[in-house]
Amino acid sequence: MSDTPNNAILKADHINVRFETAEGPVIAVDDVSFDVRPGEFLSVIGPSGCGKSTLFNVIGGLLGSYQGTVNVAGETINGPHQSIGMVFQEESTFPWRTVTDNVAFPLELTGMGKAQRIEKAKHFIGMVGLKGFENRYPGELSGGMRQRVSLARTLASEPKILLMDEPFAALDEQTRLLLGDKVLQIQQELKQTTLLITHNITEAVQMSDRILVMTYRPGKVKRIVDIDLPRPRTSEIVGSEAFGRYVAQIWADLREEASRGMREQEKHVMDEAPQG
Amino acid sequence: MAETGRLTKVATPAPAIAPVTLLRVAIILALLAIWEFLSHSGWLYRDVVPSLLAIGRAVVELLTHGEYYFNLGVTAAEVGFALLIGGGGGVIVGIVLGANRFLAKAYEPYLYYLGPTPKIIFFPIMIMYFGVGPESKVALGTLSCFFPVALSVTAGMRSIDSILIRVGKSFRANSWQMVTKIYLPAMRHPIINGVRLGLGVALIGVLLAETKLSNKGIGFLIIQAYSIFDMPRMYAMLIVLFVLSIGANALVGRLGGLHTIRRI
Repeated sequence: MSDTPNNAILKADHINVRFETAEGPVIAVDDVSFDVRPGEFLSVIGPSGCGKSTLFNVIGGLLGSYQGTVNVAGETINGPHQSIGMVFQEESTFPWRTVTDNVAFPLELTGMGKAQRIEKAKHFIGMVGLKGFENRYPGELSGGMRQRVSLARTLASEPKILLMDEPFAALDEQTRLLLGDKVLQIQQELKQTTLLITHNITEAVQMSDRILVMTYRPGKVKRIVDIDLPRPRTSEIVGSEAFGRYVAQIWADLREEASRGMREQEKHVMDEAPQG
Repeated sequence: MAETGRLTKVATPAPAIAPVTLLRVAIILALLAIWEFLSHSGWLYRDVVPSLLAIGRAVVELLTHGEYYFNLGVTAAEVGFALLIGGGGGVIVGIVLGANRFLAKAYEPYLYYLGPTPKIIFFPIMIMYFGVGPESKVALGTLSCFFPVALSVTAGMRSIDSILIRVGKSFRANSWQMVTKIYLPAMRHPIINGVRLGLGVALIGVLLAETKLSNKGIGFLIIQAYSIFDMPRMYAMLIVLFVLSIGANALVGRLGGLHTIRRI
């Protein structure tokens, strides 16, 4: 891993996003710049409403109107880029496809032969620990298993950068920690450059090399924290003292933002109340 | 405990014929009896209600002559083409309107206005354009089944989970791949429902057109039998057609995986 920012595989440069709403324009992302180095695990953390998911859509190329540029391996993105693989927060498996056919989906799009893509899909299904479920349909699996199918599907497209938006947000805490282990293990195995969007401090500290803390609306970069914990890591690290210090440090930053967010939302509700 | 439950159930002997079936058969037998009574009563014009025996003979005669099958083939082909053109067009228009909010805003009201209009009013125009032959029947059937399919697919497009579309885009699927690998499979249930509705109205449209003005097809045979007052033959055709449409509906339901719709 290199420390020179010039070496960045992904570079977000002065990203600005405004939304027009019924109550006037809202600045969702305000002049956010950062870079991701090859092999690095970077998390973007912030309170609800800080524009993290908007940032996810900008980098994934799914949001049309924004200012600034996103560079991937030297190319400015203009729509979804083949070097970026997205894993969504929502349930996103195709219910009419088996696990294998779900995972093989991106390979099918590229026109890869059937035998080859099934073999490749099996490899990634094994990697996320779903061996034996190849011919099941998503409806027959648990939520955590379906999220692993989504992860395997994105990994099968062999992206240079894995971009994840709170992939475990809908899962219970234990499943989330264990899946976090799985992601860590895969990330270390593949040396996969990963950008994780999350609001979960434990998750962020457990997995990241660096954490970018965002402010509440408008979403700006508040701080970038280097997480200097040994690798390879597992969820056991959650019990260590150093881990606790990082969590405390990031919570101190986030707390300020989250409570400001809460106050503003309350104020908003109060303002609305007299009319209602 | 489950075991005891099952035992008691087996212990009660199942009746040879279920009561529901018995009731079903009873009403048919009653209707047939009334029919037969009417045909012999002399209360109605002679032959308006032919005896069951005469109708039975007519059914046999119908089914043993090639003429019927030829005309059945004509009607089936007309309905088939109507479904292909009208249903196919409906799927395409539905996808376009479902995918494009601007176009939907402009054109969807037309679908709603024209959808319930009885298409038979366009039949004179169809005859002028396409003649008295099967072409005008196909045209009317096409017009009939286009609307339910288009409306059903438009609604189906809107019901697709948007996350699946985002997944497709994130993997850089092209438009054709989006349609074939995401839109169509995600809409399989509304499409099947639309096609079932479409088949029904295409059949109505084609038969109606045939009875109005034609020289081939089942509708033509029925109206021909009527015009020469061959009532047994007319009833025979109605009965066969009735049985055929029950069979067709069952087949479409089976093909469309109606049972899977129920399960999900």
